[in-house]
Amino acid sequence: MPLDALSDLTDEALLALFARGDRVAARALTMRLTPKVLAHAYRLLGRRDQAEDVAQEAMLRLWRVAPDWRSGEAKVTTWLYRVTANLCTDRLRRRGRTTPLDAIPEPVDAAVTPAQALQRQARADALQAALDALPERQRQAVVLRHIEEIGNPEIAEIMGLSVEAVESLTARGKRALRAALGQRREELGYTE
Amino acid sequence: MTGRREDHDPGLDPFFDAARQTAPQPEADFLARVLADAEAAQIRTTALPAHRWRARLAELGRALGGWPAMAGLSTAAVAGLWIGIAPPAMLLAQVDGWLGAAGPLVIDAEPVTMVLLTEEAM
Repeated sequence: MPLDALSDLTDEALLALFARGDRVAARALTMRLTPKVLAHAYRLLGRRDQAEDVAQEAMLRLWRVAPDWRSGEAKVTTWLYRVTANLCTDRLRRRGRTTPLDAIPEPVDAAVTPAQALQRQARADALQAALDALPERQRQAVVLRHIEEIGNPEIAEIMGLSVEAVESLTARGKRALRAALGQRREELGYTE
Repeated sequence: MTGRREDHDPGLDPFFDAARQTAPQPEADFLARVLADAEAAQIRTTALPAHRWRARLAELGRALGGWPAMAGLSTAAVAGLWIGIAPPAMLLAQVDGWLGAAGPLVIDAEPVTMVLLTEEAM
């Protein structure tokens, strides 16, 4: 089956094909899910090298669990975000909290001038630094809600919390981010 | 992905937008490593492990009537094999009787020999 033919299939359907040995499904899942897992791990860890290790391990766990995947119990992405967050927690505990950011390769965007790209990267770096200073659970809730744009009920499932607890974590996290970033708005090009 | 507008935050949204636009993209060699893991896992999980072979044999045994039937089947198979290797004299005499007095039946599998024999007879 060609890769394009699988683009309409759900993650769960692809995982079932994967478990039956379909190599095109393996490729489709890799291309679809790895960027999400890597980005999430990076936002929780703030370091690309460690984010890659975590993303590879999370994907490996998905491959291993595929034959025993119970249909309808959880979304594949929900499961992956949970596994990724747990792996990141282990990493953070091992290394301690504060570490400098690695340089992140800038995605190529032809429609953006180099000056705009630099400013965008500066804003993203400022946000990442502020995220790194948050307590771990607040950081995770804010990232899932406002960067990954996932709904609160699913975040509650990922984090094993009630929706109210997620809302509370997100509100506290955003308050801390506003305080950290508010003074840098002008420096980062926000004049409104 | 749902309803971010409900909790729109003009102070922070530009930062969140910048984070999304600069999300780290997986490089080709990293994707290749993930895919290699996937294919290795597929090979391991789709090969039938020994315990699954045993389970399938047990299932076949049950389908044929369980261990008593399997024991009877095995006994019959062994007896058949033994009769083939060392047939009792009584059995040979009986078979000769069924085939008549024409003597032993010879089947030559080589057509060339058969043709030569036929020509000699003519």
